[in-house]
Amino acid sequence: MSSTATTRPNGLALFILPSALLFALFFFLPIGLMALMSVLTGNPVVMPKVAFTTRHYARMIGDPYYLEVIWTTIRIGLVTTLVALLIGYPLAHWMARIKSRTGHALLLMAVLAPMLTGIVVRTFAWMTLLSDKGVINETLLAFGLISQPLKLMYSETGIVVGLVHIYVPFMVLTLTGVIGRIDERLEQAAENLGASPLRAFIEVTLPLSLPGILAGSLLVFALAISAYVTPILLGGFQIMTLPILIYQQISANFNVGFAAALGIVLLMISLLLVVAYNRALGLVSGQRELQ
Amino acid sequence: MMKALGSLSRRRFLTASASLGIGTIAAPCVARADDPTLRITGWGGKWGDIMKAEIGPAFESEFKCKLQTDSAFPYLPKLQASSRSAPIYDVLHTNSNEQWAAAEMGLVEPKIDPKLVPNLADVYPYAISDKIVGVSIFTSAIGLGLRTDKGYGAITSWKELWDAKYNGVRGGYVIPVNSLGQAFLMMCGTLFGKGQTDLDAAYTALEKLKPIKIVDFTGAMEKMLLSGEVGLCVIHDSGIYRYDGQNQPTDFVSPSEGVLSLEQVLTITPGSKMKELANAYVNYMLRPEVQKRLAETVWYSPANKKVKLDAKYDAKLLTTPEKVSKLIQVDWKWYNERKDEIDQRVNRIFRA
Repeated sequence: MSSTATTRPNGLALFILPSALLFALFFFLPIGLMALMSVLTGNPVVMPKVAFTTRHYARMIGDPYYLEVIWTTIRIGLVTTLVALLIGYPLAHWMARIKSRTGHALLLMAVLAPMLTGIVVRTFAWMTLLSDKGVINETLLAFGLISQPLKLMYSETGIVVGLVHIYVPFMVLTLTGVIGRIDERLEQAAENLGASPLRAFIEVTLPLSLPGILAGSLLVFALAISAYVTPILLGGFQIMTLPILIYQQISANFNVGFAAALGIVLLMISLLLVVAYNRALGLVSGQRELQ
Repeated sequence: MMKALGSLSRRRFLTASASLGIGTIAAPCVARADDPTLRITGWGGKWGDIMKAEIGPAFESEFKCKLQTDSAFPYLPKLQASSRSAPIYDVLHTNSNEQWAAAEMGLVEPKIDPKLVPNLADVYPYAISDKIVGVSIFTSAIGLGLRTDKGYGAITSWKELWDAKYNGVRGGYVIPVNSLGQAFLMMCGTLFGKGQTDLDAAYTALEKLKPIKIVDFTGAMEKMLLSGEVGLCVIHDSGIYRYDGQNQPTDFVSPSEGVLSLEQVLTITPGSKMKELANAYVNYMLRPEVQKRLAETVWYSPANKKVKLDAKYDAKLLTTPEKVSKLIQVDWKWYNERKDEIDQRVNRIFRA
């Protein structure tokens, strides 16, 4: 009797099975294939003889240029995340605590409105502002405030400006949900016990919103390090990041193996930072690990 | 009886409706099912417009087939990933550098059979020379693009691109991904070293070109030049001439050291199941009337020496043996063998 009960298919498992299969097909299979391609000498689908190799990874480690590209990618991701957090947190806090429904709706629309336009269009809009003949430089030149155009584009600063504009809504929306769930009476209690509003915020609201900061930061970081269009257009091909290098390897060098190895490194960076960030914030918030 | 009839009618109605719906959706596919399909690659922009509006439909009508054009770059990785026996394209249209890479990987046939493509007999020698895989159906001259409203004066040499007065308004290409950039690198070797293959001289020259604004394709360079972001740049003649009649303050300069050749090349894939049709397409694209129409629309120089262009086009494009003899063709086989190391080096040179 008990044996029959244990062999009976679990209803929930059957319910989850299709989505699990889809997840395996569209997530694990491509990543598995990418990992496999990164350790092969060629594409086994079209090449009769392929062998295992570590040369793609050795090339990456052996050449400081690729390490420099990896660091540039991480640096742009980190700065973008930090700036998005600094801009996004006050806005999210305001949105979460605003009493007026109309005010909340207007703020939400303001955050969501840029997302109704494509990334390419928004990046081109930044180009018209930041380029040498752009609105900012032309205005400053016209008023005689500068004699030469400022180098606003073709730099990491330009890329970060574009990325922050594109990814701030992701940070705001993630934080708003978390901050909105924090009981305001906790802050009020702290203030009743003599804490200033700033101290109440730092010691009560901020620690309780750490899961939101974690989720928003990881989302923005992952999107920023995998961005392609904005770094190309605002960096003018002079700032090399991993996605640009991967595209170059596939489209122009036809070197799928090396591109796959670069892709795996990009994935590993994200995973490592997720784990490290999770642990660091867990320690800061007094927990062993944030769930 | 009435009830049965009613039930039957409802069922019939539903069946008929479903059949009609499916039929409507499937009709275009069914109608085309008997037509053979030739899968080709092609450019967008004006090239794509004229191909879609006139040249392609005329071919389809004459050869009772469908042309399926992929204009979403990059083509070669897609061909590389598809099966050799059932390739994604029957005819590959791209520039010479990629054609050489494709030929080296065995993805395209290195030569076109003159017996199957009679119009090959009428092309200029450069179009089927040993520097070309397949056949070049058109070519453009890579030279310099100039803003005429900035008072730069007359430009005659490639070397003027290095003049300090163009700092900040100098334009070039992303060498790893663009044919013009790669051809220009070889020209740097000729200008400042022992020849096209003098890479050290080329690298030194590229270092001295900074600051430079670099783009990945000609369309972007055209916009930079038109907006005044760049004043002097590497570009091909079509990128300037296609704005003919629009009163743009731009001009094309053919430097005294010669212009580089940017070929539009057609090749056939070995695994194509449409070989006959593929050869017919190559032959069709070399027909004088097709060449004339395309040349006068996109400002590419025709490869067929029998083509007679209208005076305005004839004056600017490469339409005589004397003019085409000035074309400098690049040894892409040599270049591709070193492409990886060249890319690594130039990526370092142009980093901010």
